[in-house]
Amino acid sequence: MQDNQYHVTLTGKIADATNIEHASAQFARLFKTTPEVAMQTLQKGPVTIKRNVDQATAIKIRNVLDKLGIGCRILTADEADAEARAATQNLSVNNNTSVKKDSSSPISDTFESPTDHPGLQFKIEGKPDYSFVTVQLPANQTLKVEASAMATMDTHIEMKTKLKGGLGRFVTGESIFINEFTAAHGPGEIGIAPGAPGDMMHVYLNDEVLYLQNSAFVASAMSVNIETKWQGFTKGFFSGENLFLIRASGKGDLWFNSYGAIIEIDVQDNYVVDTGNIVAFTEHLDYKISKVGGYKSLFFSGEGFVCRFSGKGKVWIQTRGVDAFAWWAHAYRPARSSG
Amino acid sequence: MEIQLLHRPGNTAAKVTLNPTEVCTAESGAMIAMSNNINVTTTTHKRGKGSILKAVKRMVAGESLFINHFEAQNTTGEVWLGTALAGDMEVMTLDNETLVVQGSSFLACEHAIEIDLGWQGFKSILSGERVFWVHLKGSGKVLISSFGAIYPIHVDGEYIVDTGHIVAFNETLDFTITKAGKSWLHSFLGGEGLVCKFHGKGTVWCQSHNPSSFGAMLGGDLRSR
Repeated sequence: MQDNQYHVTLTGKIADATNIEHASAQFARLFKTTPEVAMQTLQKGPVTIKRNVDQATAIKIRNVLDKLGIGCRILTADEADAEARAATQNLSVNNNTSVKKDSSSPISDTFESPTDHPGLQFKIEGKPDYSFVTVQLPANQTLKVEASAMATMDTHIEMKTKLKGGLGRFVTGESIFINEFTAAHGPGEIGIAPGAPGDMMHVYLNDEVLYLQNSAFVASAMSVNIETKWQGFTKGFFSGENLFLIRASGKGDLWFNSYGAIIEIDVQDNYVVDTGNIVAFTEHLDYKISKVGGYKSLFFSGEGFVCRFSGKGKVWIQTRGVDAFAWWAHAYRPARSSG
Repeated sequence: MEIQLLHRPGNTAAKVTLNPTEVCTAESGAMIAMSNNINVTTTTHKRGKGSILKAVKRMVAGESLFINHFEAQNTTGEVWLGTALAGDMEVMTLDNETLVVQGSSFLACEHAIEIDLGWQGFKSILSGERVFWVHLKGSGKVLISSFGAIYPIHVDGEYIVDTGHIVAFNETLDFTITKAGKSWLHSFLGGEGLVCKFHGKGTVWCQSHNPSSFGAMLGGDLRSR
Protein backbone atom coordinates (compact mmCIF):
# COMPACT_ATOMS: atom_id res chain seq x y z
CA MET A 1 0.00 0.00 0.00
CA GLN A 2 1.26 3.43 -0.85
CA ASP A 3 1.83 5.61 2.12
CA ASN A 4 0.24 8.85 0.96
CA GLN A 5 -3.26 7.51 0.51
CA TYR A 6 -4.99 9.12 3.43
CA HIS A 7 -7.60 11.84 3.30
CA VAL A 8 -8.68 13.97 6.21
CA THR A 9 -12.37 14.81 6.16
CA LEU A 10 -14.23 17.28 8.32
CA THR A 11 -17.45 15.89 9.70
CA GLY A 12 -19.13 19.24 10.06
CA LYS A 13 -19.50 18.69 13.79
CA ILE A 14 -17.93 21.09 16.18
CA ALA A 15 -17.75 20.13 19.81
CA ASP A 16 -18.26 23.67 21.05
CA ALA A 17 -20.58 25.19 18.52
CA THR A 18 -20.87 28.48 20.39
CA ASN A 19 -17.21 29.12 19.90
CA ILE A 20 -17.11 28.68 16.18
CA GLU A 21 -15.34 32.01 15.65
CA HIS A 22 -12.40 30.90 17.71
CA ALA A 23 -12.32 27.55 15.96
CA SER A 24 -12.41 29.08 12.51
CA ALA A 25 -9.73 31.63 13.43
CA GLN A 26 -7.46 28.82 14.53
CA PHE A 27 -8.40 26.77 11.50
CA ALA A 28 -7.65 29.71 9.20
CA ARG A 29 -4.25 30.17 10.79
CA LEU A 30 -3.43 26.49 10.38
CA PHE A 31 -4.53 26.19 6.80
CA LYS A 32 -3.47 29.68 5.76
CA THR A 33 -6.83 30.99 4.74
CA THR A 34 -9.21 33.72 5.89
CA PRO A 35 -11.43 33.17 8.93
CA GLU A 36 -14.51 33.68 6.73
CA VAL A 37 -13.55 30.85 4.39
CA ALA A 38 -12.65 28.72 7.37
CA MET A 39 -16.01 29.27 8.98
CA GLN A 40 -17.82 28.35 5.79
CA THR A 41 -15.74 25.22 5.47
CA LEU A 42 -16.44 24.20 9.02
CA GLN A 43 -20.17 24.65 8.72
CA LYS A 44 -20.48 22.99 5.38
CA GLY A 45 -20.66 19.44 6.68
CA PRO A 46 -18.54 16.59 5.40
CA VAL A 47 -15.71 18.04 3.37
CA THR A 48 -12.27 16.71 2.61
CA ILE A 49 -9.59 19.16 3.62
CA LYS A 50 -6.43 17.18 2.95
CA ARG A 51 -5.91 14.65 0.24
CA ASN A 52 -3.22 12.04 -0.31
CA VAL A 53 -1.16 12.55 2.79
CA ASP A 54 0.64 9.82 4.65
CA GLN A 55 -0.77 8.29 7.78
CA ALA A 56 1.46 10.15 10.24
CA THR A 57 0.52 13.53 8.78
CA ALA A 58 -3.16 12.62 8.77
CA ILE A 59 -3.01 11.68 12.44
CA LYS A 60 -1.13 14.88 13.25
CA ILE A 61 -3.83 16.94 11.55
CA ARG A 62 -6.53 15.06 13.38
CA ASN A 63 -4.86 15.65 16.73
CA VAL A 64 -4.67 19.38 16.09
CA LEU A 65 -8.31 19.53 14.96
CA ASP A 66 -9.37 17.45 17.96
CA LYS A 67 -7.82 20.04 20.25
CA LEU A 68 -9.83 22.73 18.51
CA GLY A 69 -12.97 20.65 18.94
CA ILE A 70 -13.39 20.20 15.19
CA GLY A 71 -14.73 16.78 14.26
CA CYS A 72 -12.75 14.98 11.58
CA ARG A 73 -12.03 11.55 10.26
CA ILE A 74 -9.16 9.88 8.50
CA LEU A 75 -10.13 7.85 5.48
CA THR A 76 -8.12 5.86 3.02
CA ALA A 77 -8.57 6.91 -0.57
CA ASP A 78 -10.71 3.83 -1.25
CA GLU A 79 -13.01 4.54 1.67
CA ALA A 80 -13.38 8.14 0.61
CA ASP A 81 -14.37 7.07 -2.91
CA ALA A 82 -16.91 4.62 -1.56
CA GLU A 83 -18.41 7.24 0.73
CA ALA A 84 -18.60 9.79 -2.03
CA ARG A 85 -20.48 7.31 -4.19
CA ALA A 86 -22.83 6.45 -1.34
CA ALA A 87 -23.45 10.13 -0.67
CA THR A 88 -24.47 10.84 -4.25
CA GLN A 89 -26.74 7.80 -4.21
CA ASN A 90 -28.37 8.94 -1.00
CA LEU A 91 -28.87 12.34 -2.52
CA SER A 92 -30.62 10.97 -5.57
CA VAL A 93 -32.89 8.86 -3.39
CA ASN A 94 -33.76 11.80 -1.19
CA ASN A 95 -34.53 14.03 -4.15
CA ASN A 96 -36.82 11.47 -5.66
CA THR A 97 -39.72 11.51 -3.25
CA SER A 98 -41.65 8.98 -5.29
CA VAL A 99 -39.28 6.26 -4.15
CA LYS A 100 -41.25 4.37 -1.58
CA LYS A 101 -40.18 1.68 0.78
CA ASP A 102 -41.93 -1.65 0.62
CA SER A 103 -44.49 -0.96 3.27
CA SER A 104 -45.66 -4.58 3.46
CA SER A 105 -42.46 -5.52 5.21
CA PRO A 106 -42.29 -4.18 8.73
CA ILE A 107 -38.55 -4.56 8.72
CA SER A 108 -36.28 -2.42 6.66
CA ASP A 109 -33.36 -3.99 4.92
CA THR A 110 -31.76 -0.86 3.57
CA PHE A 111 -30.29 2.15 5.23
CA GLU A 112 -33.27 4.02 6.45
CA SER A 113 -33.34 7.67 5.75
CA PRO A 114 -34.14 9.73 8.82
CA THR A 115 -37.46 10.69 7.30
CA ASP A 116 -38.79 7.16 7.81
CA HIS A 117 -38.26 7.35 11.53
CA PRO A 118 -36.42 9.83 13.66
CA GLY A 119 -33.80 7.31 14.73
CA LEU A 120 -30.38 6.28 13.53
CA GLN A 121 -29.53 5.03 10.08
CA PHE A 122 -28.98 1.31 9.96
CA LYS A 123 -29.01 -1.73 7.72
CA ILE A 124 -30.02 -5.26 8.65
CA GLU A 125 -28.38 -7.83 6.40
CA GLY A 126 -28.47 -11.61 6.23
CA LYS A 127 -32.18 -11.73 6.95
CA PRO A 128 -33.88 -13.88 7.97
CA ASP A 129 -31.50 -16.71 8.85
CA TYR A 130 -28.32 -14.92 9.81
CA SER A 131 -29.31 -11.35 10.53
CA PHE A 132 -26.83 -8.74 11.66
CA VAL A 133 -27.13 -4.99 11.82
CA THR A 134 -24.82 -2.16 10.82
CA VAL A 135 -25.60 1.13 12.50
CA GLN A 136 -24.36 4.52 11.32
CA LEU A 137 -23.48 6.44 14.42
CA PRO A 138 -23.35 10.24 14.16
CA ALA A 139 -20.45 11.99 15.87
CA ASN A 140 -20.47 11.87 19.66
CA GLN A 141 -23.53 9.67 19.79
CA THR A 142 -23.56 6.54 21.86
CA LEU A 143 -25.17 3.17 21.30
CA LYS A 144 -25.95 0.54 23.91
CA VAL A 145 -24.97 -2.89 22.69
CA GLU A 146 -25.41 -6.30 24.24
CA ALA A 147 -22.05 -7.47 25.58
CA SER A 148 -19.93 -9.37 23.05
CA ALA A 149 -22.34 -8.65 20.21
CA MET A 150 -20.07 -6.11 18.52
CA ALA A 151 -18.59 -7.68 15.42
CA THR A 152 -17.01 -4.86 13.46
CA MET A 153 -16.53 -1.11 13.94
CA ASP A 154 -14.61 1.92 12.81
CA THR A 155 -11.36 2.39 14.70
CA HIS A 156 -12.38 5.71 16.20
CA ILE A 157 -15.41 4.27 17.99
CA GLU A 158 -14.75 3.97 21.70
CA MET A 159 -16.15 1.30 23.95
CA LYS A 160 -17.12 1.61 27.56
CA THR A 161 -18.46 -1.24 29.66
CA LYS A 162 -21.38 -0.41 31.88
CA LEU A 163 -23.00 -2.46 34.55
CA LYS A 164 -26.61 -2.29 33.55
CA GLY A 165 -29.57 -4.12 34.86
CA GLY A 166 -28.02 -4.71 38.25
CA LEU A 167 -27.71 -8.02 39.96
CA GLY A 168 -30.74 -9.36 38.16
CA ARG A 169 -28.77 -10.34 35.16
CA PHE A 170 -26.35 -12.31 37.35
CA VAL A 171 -29.20 -14.45 38.59
CA THR A 172 -30.55 -15.15 35.15
CA GLY A 173 -27.16 -16.19 33.90
CA GLU A 174 -27.29 -13.47 31.32
CA SER A 175 -24.07 -11.52 31.07
CA ILE A 176 -24.73 -8.37 33.00
CA PHE A 177 -22.89 -6.03 30.76
CA ILE A 178 -24.16 -3.70 28.18
CA ASN A 179 -21.36 -1.99 26.34
CA GLU A 180 -21.59 1.59 25.22
CA PHE A 181 -20.03 2.52 21.92
CA THR A 182 -19.37 6.19 21.23
CA ALA A 183 -18.39 7.68 17.90
CA ALA A 184 -15.73 9.94 19.39
CA HIS A 185 -14.13 11.68 16.44
CA GLY A 186 -16.99 12.05 14.06
CA PRO A 187 -19.48 9.61 12.61
CA GLY A 188 -18.70 5.95 12.34
CA GLU A 189 -20.31 2.64 11.79
CA ILE A 190 -20.62 -0.39 13.97
CA GLY A 191 -21.61 -3.92 12.99
CA ILE A 192 -23.52 -5.89 15.58
CA ALA A 193 -24.18 -9.62 15.37
CA PRO A 194 -26.18 -11.40 18.06
CA GLY A 195 -25.16 -14.80 19.38
CA ALA A 196 -27.95 -16.91 17.95
CA PRO A 197 -28.57 -17.28 14.21
CA GLY A 198 -31.94 -15.85 13.37
CA ASP A 199 -33.94 -12.81 12.57
CA MET A 200 -33.70 -9.26 13.82
CA MET A 201 -36.26 -6.53 14.27
CA HIS A 202 -35.99 -2.80 14.70
CA VAL A 203 -38.57 -0.70 16.48
CA TYR A 204 -38.53 2.99 17.20
CA LEU A 205 -39.93 3.49 20.65
CA ASN A 206 -41.93 6.65 20.97
CA ASP A 207 -42.35 6.92 24.70
CA GLU A 208 -43.50 3.34 24.62
CA VAL A 209 -42.56 0.27 26.56
CA LEU A 210 -41.54 -3.06 25.13
CA TYR A 211 -40.74 -6.19 27.07
CA LEU A 212 -38.00 -8.42 25.72
CA GLN A 213 -37.13 -11.95 26.60
CA ASN A 214 -33.82 -11.93 28.40
CA SER A 215 -31.50 -12.79 25.53
CA ALA A 216 -33.37 -10.92 22.81
CA PHE A 217 -31.76 -7.53 23.40
CA VAL A 218 -29.29 -6.50 20.69
CA ALA A 219 -28.78 -2.76 20.84
CA SER A 220 -30.54 0.49 21.55
CA ALA A 221 -30.08 4.23 21.42
CA MET A 222 -28.80 5.88 24.59
CA SER A 223 -32.18 7.47 25.09
CA VAL A 224 -33.81 4.08 25.54
CA ASN A 225 -33.92 2.96 29.11
CA ILE A 226 -33.00 -0.70 29.55
CA GLU A 227 -33.82 -2.38 32.83
CA THR A 228 -34.53 -5.85 34.03
CA LYS A 229 -37.88 -6.65 35.50
CA TRP A 230 -38.40 -9.39 38.00
CA GLN A 231 -41.29 -11.54 36.85
CA GLY A 232 -42.18 -12.80 40.27
CA PHE A 233 -41.79 -16.33 41.48
CA THR A 234 -44.89 -17.77 39.87
CA LYS A 235 -44.33 -16.18 36.52
CA GLY A 236 -40.61 -16.71 36.58
CA PHE A 237 -39.94 -20.09 38.07
CA PHE A 238 -42.85 -21.92 36.58
CA SER A 239 -42.08 -20.66 33.17
CA GLY A 240 -38.87 -22.63 33.39
CA GLU A 241 -37.22 -19.90 31.41
CA ASN A 242 -35.90 -16.62 32.61
CA LEU A 243 -36.82 -15.00 35.84
CA PHE A 244 -36.32 -11.60 34.36
CA LEU A 245 -37.60 -9.76 31.39
CA ILE A 246 -35.93 -6.76 29.87
CA ARG A 247 -38.04 -3.65 29.95
CA ALA A 248 -37.16 -1.15 27.25
CA SER A 249 -38.75 2.26 27.56
CA GLY A 250 -38.32 5.81 26.40
CA LYS A 251 -37.73 7.27 22.96
CA GLY A 252 -35.33 5.88 20.42
CA ASP A 253 -34.14 2.92 18.40
CA LEU A 254 -34.26 -0.62 19.70
CA TRP A 255 -33.04 -3.74 17.98
CA PHE A 256 -33.88 -7.23 19.14
CA ASN A 257 -33.19 -10.67 17.74
CA SER A 258 -34.52 -14.19 17.79
CA TYR A 259 -33.31 -17.74 17.43
CA GLY A 260 -35.05 -18.76 14.24
CA ALA A 261 -37.47 -16.55 12.38
CA ILE A 262 -39.64 -13.91 14.02
CA ILE A 263 -43.40 -14.03 13.65
CA GLU A 264 -45.44 -11.02 14.65
CA ILE A 265 -48.80 -11.80 16.21
CA ASP A 266 -51.53 -9.26 16.74
CA VAL A 267 -53.25 -10.20 19.94
CA GLN A 268 -56.88 -9.15 19.97
CA ASP A 269 -58.00 -10.72 23.20
CA ASN A 270 -56.04 -13.84 24.09
CA TYR A 271 -53.11 -15.81 22.75
CA VAL A 272 -51.02 -18.70 23.99
CA VAL A 273 -47.26 -18.88 23.42
CA ASP A 274 -44.79 -21.51 24.54
CA THR A 275 -42.55 -19.86 27.13
CA GLY A 276 -39.42 -20.76 25.16
CA ASN A 277 -40.67 -19.02 22.02
CA ILE A 278 -41.43 -15.55 23.33
CA VAL A 279 -39.20 -12.84 21.89
CA ALA A 280 -40.94 -9.61 22.84
CA PHE A 281 -44.33 -8.14 23.61
CA THR A 282 -45.93 -4.75 24.01
CA GLU A 283 -46.73 -3.16 27.33
CA HIS A 284 -50.48 -3.31 27.43
CA LEU A 285 -50.63 -7.06 27.30
CA ASP A 286 -51.14 -8.89 30.51
CA TYR A 287 -49.64 -12.32 30.78
CA LYS A 288 -49.76 -15.26 33.06
CA ILE A 289 -48.06 -18.61 33.07
CA SER A 290 -50.37 -21.58 32.91
CA LYS A 291 -50.55 -25.11 31.66
CA VAL A 292 -52.07 -26.28 28.42
CA GLY A 293 -55.00 -28.61 28.74
CA GLY A 294 -55.39 -30.76 31.81
CA TYR A 295 -52.80 -32.08 34.21
CA LYS A 296 -52.03 -34.95 31.91
CA SER A 297 -51.05 -32.45 29.26
CA LEU A 298 -48.94 -30.56 31.77
CA PHE A 299 -46.64 -33.50 32.29
CA PHE A 300 -46.90 -35.39 29.05
CA SER A 301 -47.70 -32.95 26.28
CA GLY A 302 -44.09 -31.86 25.96
CA GLU A 303 -45.32 -28.28 26.12
CA GLY A 304 -44.98 -27.79 29.87
CA PHE A 305 -46.01 -24.30 30.76
CA VAL A 306 -47.21 -21.72 28.33
CA CYS A 307 -47.68 -18.01 28.54
CA ARG A 308 -51.22 -16.73 28.13
CA PHE A 309 -51.37 -13.18 26.89
CA SER A 310 -54.52 -11.16 27.28
CA GLY A 311 -55.45 -7.69 26.16
CA LYS A 312 -54.62 -5.89 22.94
CA GLY A 313 -51.11 -5.68 21.64
CA LYS A 314 -48.33 -7.38 19.74
CA VAL A 315 -46.31 -10.46 20.54
CA TRP A 316 -43.24 -11.47 18.58
CA ILE A 317 -42.47 -15.18 18.66
CA GLN A 318 -39.50 -17.16 17.38
CA THR A 319 -39.79 -20.33 15.34
CA ARG A 320 -37.02 -22.12 17.23
CA GLY A 321 -36.24 -22.37 20.91
CA VAL A 322 -32.78 -22.38 22.41
CA ASP A 323 -33.91 -24.67 25.22
CA ALA A 324 -35.51 -27.12 22.79
CA PHE A 325 -32.31 -27.30 20.81
CA ALA A 326 -30.22 -27.71 23.95
CA TRP A 327 -32.50 -30.53 25.02
CA TRP A 328 -32.04 -32.20 21.66
CA ALA A 329 -28.25 -31.84 21.86
CA HIS A 330 -28.29 -33.20 25.40
CA ALA A 331 -28.86 -36.70 24.04
CA TYR A 332 -25.50 -36.51 22.30
CA ARG A 333 -23.49 -35.59 25.38
CA PRO A 334 -20.85 -38.20 26.01
CA ALA A 335 -21.53 -40.46 28.98
CA ARG A 336 -19.10 -40.03 31.84
CA SER A 337 -16.77 -42.98 31.88
CA SER A 338 -16.84 -44.78 35.22
CA GLY A 339 -13.67 -44.82 37.27
CA MET B 1 -57.41 -27.67 8.05
CA GLU B 2 -55.12 -25.18 6.32
CA ILE B 3 -51.37 -25.47 6.64
CA GLN B 4 -49.20 -22.52 5.71
CA LEU B 5 -45.41 -22.74 5.84
CA LEU B 6 -43.49 -19.58 6.71
CA HIS B 7 -39.84 -18.58 6.77
CA ARG B 8 -38.72 -21.49 4.66
CA PRO B 9 -36.34 -23.15 4.40
CA GLY B 10 -34.09 -22.49 7.40
CA ASN B 11 -36.45 -21.37 10.10
CA THR B 12 -39.66 -22.94 8.93
CA ALA B 13 -42.75 -22.71 11.07
CA ALA B 14 -46.17 -24.06 10.17
CA LYS B 15 -49.34 -22.12 10.75
CA VAL B 16 -52.24 -24.52 11.02
CA THR B 17 -55.67 -22.95 10.72
CA LEU B 18 -58.48 -25.01 12.14
CA ASN B 19 -62.17 -24.57 11.52
CA PRO B 20 -64.48 -25.06 14.51
CA THR B 21 -64.37 -28.64 15.83
CA GLU B 22 -61.51 -29.56 13.51
CA VAL B 23 -58.70 -31.45 15.19
CA CYS B 24 -55.00 -31.45 14.41
CA THR B 25 -52.81 -34.13 15.91
CA ALA B 26 -49.22 -33.09 16.55
CA GLU B 27 -46.01 -34.48 17.88
CA SER B 28 -45.51 -33.58 21.53
CA GLY B 29 -43.60 -30.37 22.09
CA ALA B 30 -44.19 -29.05 18.57
CA MET B 31 -46.58 -26.23 19.49
CA ILE B 32 -44.89 -22.83 19.71
CA ALA B 33 -48.00 -20.65 19.92
CA MET B 34 -51.74 -20.85 19.42
CA SER B 35 -54.91 -18.87 19.70
CA ASN B 36 -56.78 -19.07 22.94
CA ASN B 37 -59.81 -20.97 21.66
CA ILE B 38 -57.85 -24.16 21.07
CA ASN B 39 -58.45 -27.05 23.38
CA VAL B 40 -55.50 -29.34 23.96
CA THR B 41 -55.74 -32.95 25.00
CA THR B 42 -52.83 -35.31 25.41
CA THR B 43 -53.22 -38.99 24.73
CA THR B 44 -50.98 -41.93 24.24
CA HIS B 45 -52.63 -42.49 20.95
CA LYS B 46 -55.38 -41.41 18.65
CA ARG B 47 -58.40 -40.50 20.68
CA GLY B 48 -60.90 -43.26 21.15
CA LYS B 49 -58.48 -45.84 19.86
CA GLY B 50 -56.01 -45.71 22.69
CA SER B 51 -53.98 -48.81 23.12
CA ILE B 52 -51.07 -48.99 25.45
CA LEU B 53 -49.29 -51.36 23.12
CA LYS B 54 -49.26 -48.80 20.36
CA ALA B 55 -48.00 -46.19 22.80
CA VAL B 56 -45.15 -48.41 23.87
CA LYS B 57 -44.30 -48.93 20.25
CA ARG B 58 -44.21 -45.17 19.80
CA MET B 59 -41.83 -44.88 22.70
CA VAL B 60 -39.55 -47.50 21.26
CA ALA B 61 -39.53 -45.51 18.07
CA GLY B 62 -37.82 -42.66 19.82
CA GLU B 63 -41.02 -40.73 19.52
CA SER B 64 -42.67 -39.38 22.56
CA LEU B 65 -45.19 -41.68 24.15
CA PHE B 66 -47.73 -38.93 23.89
CA ILE B 67 -49.29 -36.94 21.14
CA ASN B 68 -51.31 -33.76 21.42
CA HIS B 69 -54.67 -33.05 19.87
CA PHE B 70 -55.50 -29.45 19.13
CA GLU B 71 -59.18 -28.79 18.67
CA ALA B 72 -60.68 -25.46 17.68
CA GLN B 73 -63.68 -24.67 19.83
CA ASN B 74 -66.50 -22.45 18.58
CA THR B 75 -64.50 -20.25 16.27
CA THR B 76 -61.63 -20.65 13.84
CA GLY B 77 -58.35 -21.16 15.60
CA GLU B 78 -54.69 -21.30 14.72
CA VAL B 79 -51.76 -23.32 15.96
CA TRP B 80 -48.11 -22.57 15.18
CA LEU B 81 -45.80 -25.56 15.00
CA GLY B 82 -42.02 -25.55 15.06
CA THR B 83 -39.12 -27.94 15.51
CA ALA B 84 -36.02 -27.97 17.68
CA LEU B 85 -33.65 -28.23 14.74
CA ALA B 86 -33.22 -25.83 11.86
CA GLY B 87 -34.79 -27.00 8.66
CA ASP B 88 -37.65 -27.21 6.24
CA MET B 89 -41.12 -28.69 6.35
CA GLU B 90 -43.38 -30.21 3.76
CA VAL B 91 -47.14 -30.71 3.57
CA MET B 92 -48.25 -33.96 1.98
CA THR B 93 -51.82 -34.79 1.08
CA LEU B 94 -52.67 -38.44 1.37
CA ASP B 95 -55.44 -39.91 -0.69
CA ASN B 96 -56.32 -43.20 0.92
CA GLU B 97 -52.72 -44.32 0.98
CA THR B 98 -49.94 -44.87 3.46
CA LEU B 99 -46.89 -42.71 4.02
CA VAL B 100 -44.03 -44.03 6.09
CA VAL B 101 -42.35 -41.24 8.04
CA GLN B 102 -39.08 -41.48 9.92
CA GLY B 103 -39.81 -41.13 13.65
CA SER B 104 -38.34 -37.69 14.32
CA SER B 105 -39.65 -36.18 11.08
CA PHE B 106 -43.33 -36.58 11.90
CA LEU B 107 -44.80 -33.27 13.02
CA ALA B 108 -48.58 -33.25 12.59
CA CYS B 109 -51.52 -34.64 10.66
CA GLU B 110 -55.23 -34.29 10.29
CA HIS B 111 -57.35 -36.16 12.73
CA ALA B 112 -58.69 -38.48 10.04
CA ILE B 113 -55.28 -40.01 9.57
CA GLU B 114 -54.37 -43.10 11.47
CA ILE B 115 -51.00 -43.04 13.19
CA ASP B 116 -49.31 -46.34 13.73
CA LEU B 117 -45.86 -47.55 14.34
CA GLY B 118 -45.11 -50.13 11.75
CA TRP B 119 -43.03 -53.00 12.95
CA GLN B 120 -40.15 -53.36 10.60
CA GLY B 121 -38.66 -56.35 12.29
CA PHE B 122 -35.24 -56.71 13.74
CA LYS B 123 -33.49 -55.36 10.71
CA SER B 124 -34.33 -51.86 11.89
CA ILE B 125 -33.27 -52.37 15.48
CA LEU B 126 -29.99 -53.92 14.47
CA SER B 127 -29.14 -50.91 12.36
CA GLY B 128 -27.92 -49.02 15.41
CA GLU B 129 -29.18 -45.76 14.02
CA ARG B 130 -32.69 -45.35 15.25
CA VAL B 131 -34.55 -46.26 12.13
CA PHE B 132 -38.14 -46.39 13.15
CA TRP B 133 -41.11 -45.54 11.14
CA VAL B 134 -44.44 -43.96 11.76
CA HIS B 135 -47.11 -45.21 9.42
CA LEU B 136 -49.66 -42.59 8.45
CA LYS B 137 -52.67 -44.09 6.80
CA GLY B 138 -55.83 -42.59 5.33
CA SER B 139 -56.84 -39.39 3.58
CA GLY B 140 -55.84 -35.92 4.62
CA LYS B 141 -52.91 -33.62 5.23
CA VAL B 142 -49.64 -34.65 6.82
CA LEU B 143 -46.90 -32.29 7.96
CA ILE B 144 -43.34 -33.55 8.03
CA SER B 145 -40.13 -31.78 9.00
CA SER B 146 -36.51 -32.20 8.05
CA PHE B 147 -33.10 -31.21 9.34
CA GLY B 148 -31.83 -28.99 6.56
CA ALA B 149 -33.42 -29.02 3.13
CA ILE B 150 -35.89 -31.61 1.95
CA TYR B 151 -35.87 -33.14 -1.50
CA PRO B 152 -37.73 -35.96 -3.23
CA ILE B 153 -36.15 -38.85 -5.06
CA HIS B 154 -38.32 -40.83 -7.43
CA VAL B 155 -37.36 -44.45 -7.25
CA ASP B 156 -38.12 -46.88 -10.00
CA GLY B 157 -36.09 -49.95 -9.43
CA GLU B 158 -33.48 -49.65 -6.71
CA TYR B 159 -31.97 -46.76 -4.80
CA ILE B 160 -29.79 -46.42 -1.72
CA VAL B 161 -30.31 -43.75 0.96
CA ASP B 162 -28.37 -43.42 4.19
CA THR B 163 -30.69 -44.16 7.09
CA GLY B 164 -30.03 -40.77 8.70
CA HIS B 165 -31.18 -38.90 5.61
CA ILE B 166 -34.59 -40.47 5.16
CA VAL B 167 -37.58 -38.28 5.97
CA ALA B 168 -40.45 -40.28 4.49
CA PHE B 169 -41.33 -42.66 1.70
CA ASN B 170 -44.35 -44.17 -0.01
CA GLU B 171 -45.42 -47.48 1.35
CA THR B 172 -45.30 -48.86 -2.17
CA LEU B 173 -41.54 -49.04 -1.68
CA ASP B 174 -39.99 -51.96 0.06
CA PHE B 175 -36.60 -51.68 1.66
CA THR B 176 -33.80 -53.68 3.14
CA ILE B 177 -31.20 -52.37 5.52
CA THR B 178 -27.79 -53.15 4.22
CA LYS B 179 -24.21 -52.05 4.25
CA ALA B 180 -22.91 -49.31 2.01
CA GLY B 181 -19.62 -50.88 1.04
CA LYS B 182 -18.67 -54.29 -0.17
CA SER B 183 -17.67 -55.51 3.25
CA TRP B 184 -18.96 -54.66 6.71
CA LEU B 185 -15.51 -53.46 7.73
CA HIS B 186 -15.33 -50.96 4.90
CA SER B 187 -18.83 -49.76 5.52
CA PHE B 188 -18.13 -48.86 9.11
CA LEU B 189 -14.68 -47.43 8.48
CA GLY B 190 -16.16 -45.35 5.72
CA GLY B 191 -18.54 -43.80 8.20
CA GLU B 192 -21.52 -44.80 6.16
CA GLY B 193 -22.67 -47.52 8.55
CA LEU B 194 -26.00 -48.66 7.32
CA VAL B 195 -28.08 -47.64 4.40
CA CYS B 196 -31.55 -48.32 3.20
CA LYS B 197 -31.85 -50.02 -0.14
CA PHE B 198 -35.25 -49.21 -1.55
CA HIS B 199 -36.88 -51.21 -4.25
CA GLY B 200 -40.12 -50.81 -6.12
CA LYS B 201 -41.74 -47.67 -7.44
CA GLY B 202 -42.43 -44.59 -5.37
CA THR B 203 -40.91 -41.48 -3.83
CA VAL B 204 -38.41 -41.12 -1.02
CA TRP B 205 -38.10 -37.71 0.64
CA CYS B 206 -34.62 -37.05 1.95
CA GLN B 207 -33.14 -34.43 4.24
CA SER B 208 -29.90 -32.72 3.31
CA HIS B 209 -28.38 -33.24 6.75
CA ASN B 210 -28.13 -36.13 9.10
CA PRO B 211 -29.19 -35.17 12.66
CA SER B 212 -27.07 -37.93 14.22
CA SER B 213 -23.95 -36.70 12.45
CA PHE B 214 -24.59 -33.18 13.70
CA GLY B 215 -25.26 -34.50 17.18
CA ALA B 216 -22.10 -36.54 17.17
CA MET B 217 -20.17 -33.48 16.06
CA LEU B 218 -21.61 -31.40 18.89
CA GLY B 219 -21.21 -34.17 21.42
CA GLY B 220 -17.45 -33.93 21.50
CA ASP B 221 -17.68 -30.34 22.64
CA LEU B 222 -20.25 -30.95 25.34
CA ARG B 223 -19.51 -31.80 28.95
CA SER B 224 -20.14 -35.41 29.76
CA ARG B 225 -23.29 -36.06 31.69
